[in-house]
This record gives sequence, C-alpha cells and structure tokens, in this order.
Amino acid sequence: MSNNDALLEVENLCVEFGDRRGAVRAVDRISFEVEPGRTLGIVGESGCGKSTTSLAIMGLLPRPAGRITAGAIRLSGTELAGLPENRMRRIRGAEMSMIFQEPMTALNPVYTIGAQMSAVVRRHAGLSRRAARRRALEMLERVGIPLAQRRLAEYPHELSGGMRQRVMIAMALSCRPRLLIADEPTTALDVTTQAQVLEQIKALQRDFDTAVVLITHDLGVVAETCDEVVVMYCGRMVERAPVEALFSAPRHRYTEGLIQAIPKIRTRRLTRLPVVPGSVPDLSELPPGCCFAARCAHADTHCLRRQPALERMGPSRVACFHPADAEPVR
Amino acid sequence: MEILKYTLRKLAGGIPLLLGVTLVSFVLMVYFGPDKTWELLSKNPTAEEIAQVRSQLGYDQPFWVRYGNYLRELATLEFGYSDSTGERVTTILQRTVPVTLALLAPGFVLGIVLGIALGLLAAWHRGGWIDRAVTGLAVVGMSVSFLVVIIAFQLLFGVVLGWFPVRGWNVHDLPSYLHYVTVPTLASVFVALGYNTRFFRAVLVEEMARDHVRTARAFGASPVEILRKNVLMNAMIPIVTRTMFSIPLVVISGSLLIESYFGIPGVGKVTYDAITSGDQPVLKAVIGLTAVMFVGILIVNDILYKFFDPRISLGRTALQ
Amino acid sequence: MSLPVHDINPGADARLQPVRRPGGISPWSRAFDRLIGDRPAMAGLAIVTVFFVIALGVWFGWWGGKWAETGDGQWLPPSPEHWLGTTILGQDIFARAIFSTRTAFEIGLVVAAASTLLGALFGALSGYFAHTAIDGLVLWLKGVLDSIPFYLFVAAIAFALDGNPWAMHIAMIATFWTTTARLVRGEVIKLKSLEFVEAARAIGLHPLVILFRHIVPNTLHILLVQATIVFVAAIKSEVILSFLGLGVQDGVSWGLMIAESTSEVIAGHYMNFIAASGFLFALVMGFNLFADGLQDALDPKRSGR
Repeated sequence: MSNNDALLEVENLCVEFGDRRGAVRAVDRISFEVEPGRTLGIVGESGCGKSTTSLAIMGLLPRPAGRITAGAIRLSGTELAGLPENRMRRIRGAEMSMIFQEPMTALNPVYTIGAQMSAVVRRHAGLSRRAARRRALEMLERVGIPLAQRRLAEYPHELSGGMRQRVMIAMALSCRPRLLIADEPTTALDVTTQAQVLEQIKALQRDFDTAVVLITHDLGVVAETCDEVVVMYCGRMVERAPVEALFSAPRHRYTEGLIQAIPKIRTRRLTRLPVVPGSVPDLSELPPGCCFAARCAHADTHCLRRQPALERMGPSRVACFHPADAEPVR
Repeated sequence: MEILKYTLRKLAGGIPLLLGVTLVSFVLMVYFGPDKTWELLSKNPTAEEIAQVRSQLGYDQPFWVRYGNYLRELATLEFGYSDSTGERVTTILQRTVPVTLALLAPGFVLGIVLGIALGLLAAWHRGGWIDRAVTGLAVVGMSVSFLVVIIAFQLLFGVVLGWFPVRGWNVHDLPSYLHYVTVPTLASVFVALGYNTRFFRAVLVEEMARDHVRTARAFGASPVEILRKNVLMNAMIPIVTRTMFSIPLVVISGSLLIESYFGIPGVGKVTYDAITSGDQPVLKAVIGLTAVMFVGILIVNDILYKFFDPRISLGRTALQ
Repeated sequence: MSLPVHDINPGADARLQPVRRPGGISPWSRAFDRLIGDRPAMAGLAIVTVFFVIALGVWFGWWGGKWAETGDGQWLPPSPEHWLGTTILGQDIFARAIFSTRTAFEIGLVVAAASTLLGALFGALSGYFAHTAIDGLVLWLKGVLDSIPFYLFVAAIAFALDGNPWAMHIAMIATFWTTTARLVRGEVIKLKSLEFVEAARAIGLHPLVILFRHIVPNTLHILLVQATIVFVAAIKSEVILSFLGLGVQDGVSWGLMIAESTSEVIAGHYMNFIAASGFLFALVMGFNLFADGLQDALDPKRSGR
C-alpha cells in the first residue's frame, strides 16, 4: 500500500510499554499515510493509544519504558524509527512539529515568549538573534495575536490559554515544518477559542502546504478539519475512512456508537443521548478476540475468540466481523 | 525601592523570630545557666559579699529586666568579655569569622555544585543504571558519619600519605591556603554530597516530568539546553532555598567539627571551646548572631525567588 | 465508627476511579506489597533486624555484658578470644561495640517515638486550627527552634539541666519534631476538607475527637517515615555530640568509642575506630535503605521509579 505522494507513512507500527516484568502493547499494528496539505484525524477514547502514536512518530516516547517494537515510520522516505537521537533532534521542530493539549504548562514559565520562539528558529534555521526575533514577531502576527511586539517580552503566565496555544502554533510553524502533529490542541480551551485555534491551524496549513495529524476525541473537530480519519480502540486501528464516508456510513460498531453519541442540535424533543456502554478494557488484560466485543451489541462467540483483520469496505477499511450495513436490514 | 520596602516589612516580620531565639537562649543559658557567683568570690564569703556579687552580675534583677539587658547587649553587639580568655567577644569574632569563611567556602560551593551536577545526571537517566548508581552512592554517603569522615581523611591524607598537614591553619598565601584547606574541603564535600545529590535529584526529576520539557524536546532542543533552560532554571527556587538555609548550618555546625578536629582557629573552634568550658558570653553571641543570620537569609531568599521566577511578585511571596 | 483510611486521594484520579478498588485491596496492603518487592529496602530491614536482635540480647544479658571488664593485654590484635582486639585498658572491643548497639537503639527509639508524638500533636493542632493563634504559636516555636544551631542548642540544654544525662535526648526531641510537625500540618490541612471529616462534623463530633480519632490516624504514613528518619538522625547525632562531650554520659556508645579513637588512630591503633564506625555505618545504611523503600512504597509518585 505504499503511496508515493505521502509525506508521512506509518506502517504496522507497534509500541510497547513496560520492563522485564511485563510489557503492554499500547499501539498495535497501526498504518496510515498523510499527504502534504491534508489532515488525518486519529480518534478514540483516552488511553486508546492515539497520543502514544504521535509521540512515537516524534521519537518522544518516554524512556526507558516505551519503545517501538515493530513497524516503520517514514517522513518523506526517511525512516524515523531507530534514527539516532541527534538526527531526530534536527528533524524535530524543523521538518515536523508538535503542539500539545495543555497550553497552560507546555511553555517554559521562566523564559519570555520571544526568547522561547527565537530559540527554536535560531536552532533550526541558523538565524541571527535579530532575524530570529523578527521571525517570531511575524509568526505571532500571523496567528492573530494582538500587540505581538509586546507579547514577545511577556512570560507565559501573562497570557490566556487560547493565546498560549496560538503561541505554540506560531512556534510550531516558525520553521515551516512539512508535518504538524496536533495532540488534542483545543481540548483545554473554551468553545469560541477552540474554533479560532482550529481556523488558525487550517489557514497556516494552506499557506505552508503542511500535512497535519490531528489527535482528538472530539468528532465535531474531526468533521470540521479532517480529510481522513483513523479510529483507534485499545491500541488497534478499528476503522479508517475518508471523513465523509465515516460520518455518512460508519462501519465499525464502535465508530457507529461514537457518532450516535454526538449531540444533534435540531432534535425536536429532548432525548437521552445514546452512550457506548461499558468502558475500555485494561491494556494488560486484552481479550483474545475483538477488543470491543465486550461492549458490542452485535458480538457473538466468534468475536470473542478471533481478532478481526482490517478489510476494505467501499472507501473504508474496517476490522469487524459484523460491520454496519454489511447486509440488508433483517 | 520596592525591594527596600519589602525588606523593611520582612525585617519587621523577623522580629518575633529573633525575640523567640533570644528568649530561648536566654532562658537556657542565662536564667537557668550556671551560677557564676562562687567563681567571683573568695573563700568563706560573707552574706553581704554574696549579695554584692549577685547584684553585680544582675542576678537580683527580675526576669524581664535581665532579658532586656541581654537584648540590649545583642543589639549593640556588646557581648562583654570571654570568661576563659578575657578577650572581648567582638574581637574574637572579628578574628575568627574570616578564617571560618575561608575554610568552609570551597567545600560548601563544591558540595552544592557537584550535588546539582550528579542530580542532573541521575535525573536525565532516570530509572537507568546511572541513576541507580548515583542514588545508591548517595545513600552510602548519607550513612557515613561526618566525624568518621573527618577522622578517616585526616588519617589518610595527613598521616598515612602525608600529603597535607594534620592540624593547624598557617595560611599566608594561596599555596599555603590550598595546603591547609584541601582535607577539610574533601571531608565536607564528601559528607554534603550524599544529602545534596539526593535532594537535587528529587527536585530535578520532578522538573524533568514537566510538559514544557516535552515541548522543548519536540522542538529539537539538545539535552544540555533542556537541562539548563527547562530543568535547572525551573528548579532554582528549591535549589536556592536549600543552599541559603544550609549556610547557617554549615557555618556553625560544620565548622564546629572541622575546626575543633583540625585545630583551626575559626568560629567553630571558639564555639567548641566555649561549649566545653561553659563560656557563656561567647555562646550567647554565637546563638544570637546565628538567629540574626537566619532572619537575614529569610529575606535574601525571598528576594532571590523574585529574581528566579517571573511569576512571583514581592508583594505576595509566601514562604513555605 | 470507623471511617475509610487514607484511601482518599484528591485529584483527578479520585473523581474518575472508585475509591475502593474491586477486591477491596487497601492502600496499606498495596504499600506492603511494594515494600516486599523492593530488594534494597528488604536488605535494609534485614540489617536493622540483626542489629535489633543484638540490642535485645544485650538487654536480656545474653551478650556484651563484659564490655567494661578490663583485661591484662592492652592493644591486643583481633583473635578468636577478642574478635576485634582490645583497648588500651584491655577491654574487648567487640563487646563494647555490641553493647553500644543497645545504647544506639535506646537513643534512637526514645528520640524517634517522642519527637514523632510531639510532631504529630503540634502538627495536627496547627493544621486543624490553621491560620489561628494556635497555628501561629506552633509555627513560631518551630521557626525559633529551627534557627538555633543544633549543637549549640544541645549545649544550652546541657547547661540548663546541669549535666543531666537526658540533656541530649531532650535536645534532640525538642529539635527533631519540627519537620514531622510541618509535614503533618500540611496533610491535616488537606484532609480536613474531605467528605469524611465533613460528615464527622455534621454528626456533631467534638473537634478534638475528629482531629485525633479520624484525621491523625490518616497521617500514619508520614509519621512512620519520619520516625525512621529521626531514628537515623538521632544515632548519627549521638556520635558527634559524644565527641563534643555533650552526648552519652555513662555506659558506652559508638560515639564515645570514636571519640576515644581520635587520639588512638594517630598512634596506629585502628580497631576501636573501625569497629565503632563500621557498626554505625551498617545500622545507619540499613535504616536509610529501609526508610527509602518505605517512603517509595507509601508514596509511589515520590521518586518516580
């Protein structure tokens, strides 16, 4: 399934955590590609391995507990898994950047915004102190921060959460990376700020033709921003589909449940939102079969015993023995 | 200006502490302390002679008057004369304090710097064998008594190897200073290092786990840059606090052992002699001045906080 | 009425997870399991146990009783008869080191127990009545005691008590409680806003009953760790105080043995020094390892291991 246009290719990625006493497979055979200028969403409940996937791509897995045990991660053809740390360092922040969920704590509290932004540009682009400062200012203005000049001299605690996340975006894109990984970039923000921040990311993506991997548990965000979506459950990829197909015809029963749980505005009467019953199983005690079987209304004994493989279904791929709309309604 | 106002307010806040320390030392050492009446009397004194000496010593005064006198002595730095040598206490201190500072400064600084360096090393390799080796050695270092270290080092370097002098302080230039200061410095570094490394490692490990460290890594910062800007600079408050509050401890308790053992004429030796001979004027001066030093350190410490953390404003500093 | 102990861990986790894990595993038994699995801590406990047995033996008169007996041969080298040789007075150094183990445990236990009790009492009062006059008084006292140099404080107490053999113990207890009190104060402030305390207040229990029956038992993990730390501090301080002439007044202790040895080592008589500092090191190391493991077991977040 190699794709020559793809900027990022992740193939059969496996990540394990643990030590001699026992390992937990947090990411299990994940594959996807992202092309320049496109956005891939990774969706799932917390603990499903979506953040681990992004940290693995960045080479930021917590050491020594976490490690990539199999698979490949290629950024424009360069294999990243197993790349020495000093080469990774030159790629991080320059060719691929990452923004995190917690804008409140993601910036160093004892340095000014300007100092932190210039450090990144100077490190990768080799700019002079003054040129770095100018680039920082330009980027701050680009993400729509008012009084950008003054903000440069301020410390993170003097900025609001939305402002800080915009600083993060400015910093992440200051070296024109080809790949941006955004790990729940709007979760910690209030709703109006969320929309603005997503809009910023999209605008900059258009300008720089950046590929974006967006990690989120919010399907609303996915619908607005993504081109393609990977749904993860217990470290496994249960469905992968173009965004339209995912919302119009979800295949996996888990995806179906997630979409049904989105509040609809125009319901005539107040009804209880359907929820996906049960909770995510413990990664160290995964069942032998489909990991969603215990919560699935359609599961049978087969599902409990065998693991479904990812199979093509129209534009989607799904790992389910009883996918939605597979046969006419009984 | 802000700092001045702040200092004055802090100084005022230090008054109860000063009063407390002086009160405790007064009660223990003067009020319930040894009665010097009989030392000043001839044999077979008359009742009048006794009364006269007691009033000379102020023993007939009420408690609060005597405490007030004690405070006045302290405020005017007029501690009287040493019971054993008859020398003015202030003169003794003027002579001995510089010796103690010269003796302890290198060991103190090295102990802190090496402790931070080892702490950084262990924190960066957290959970790995380097970390385990450093923490293991720290526990060993913590388990050795200061006295044992001093004896062993003096024996090793002074007697067995004969590289350095066993006792004394005959310092007149840099080579002689290094000659005399080396063994005490090695001993104090050895003793401080275990505790310091452990403390700094714990502090630095906590800083290593911060989100902004991950951010820095995600933007390609090098280990040295991360350790300096994200870890060390963010850990400055506990580091400064520990360093500052170690000063009185080292100056008094550290010098006491080192100087008495190596026969070095510093404050510690003077204090040791005062303890063994019951020389009250000297002890009063040392205790009183240490309390003043503590209050001074409290204030300086808070001002340093402001310097190291932009989030702290002097108006509402809370000292833990 | 018994209320859940220590299981309440404020923060996000407590809101997401049930307070009681399925299977009813208590935090204490989890901590115990962690401690058992911690090899250095278990090694430390083994060392401490050996020393404790030695000390018990001395109490019961099984061994070490001949520590003061003088013999004919002075400065005898180690032999089957005198395992670690003899002193200038012909006393058996091994017997003296063994007997000193009892001295060390007496000092350590007395000081650790008393200063922990004092710390718990003052810390609890100051935490429960935080920001009142009681709290202010305790904090002031703590500040005062913390700013008097320890050895000078011992000297001052020794003066005031006029050579009383308990001067050292009293001085240690009076200074070592402050850290315990600070930690307990913080924990009590945290605990007193929790539901079970609100509940106890709602049913009208007396504040002191709430404090000492329901809150203080929940600080036991702090008290345990502090007690082991104070134990170590006490036996280490004894050595230095004995050297300064402020320590053990009668009997024998490792500190007195080391103090004696300071003049002997120059002349090449090492056994007194080696015996006393070796015993001291082993016991302190054992306690340090155990205290470390205990702390990690009770608060797994602490060392991040």
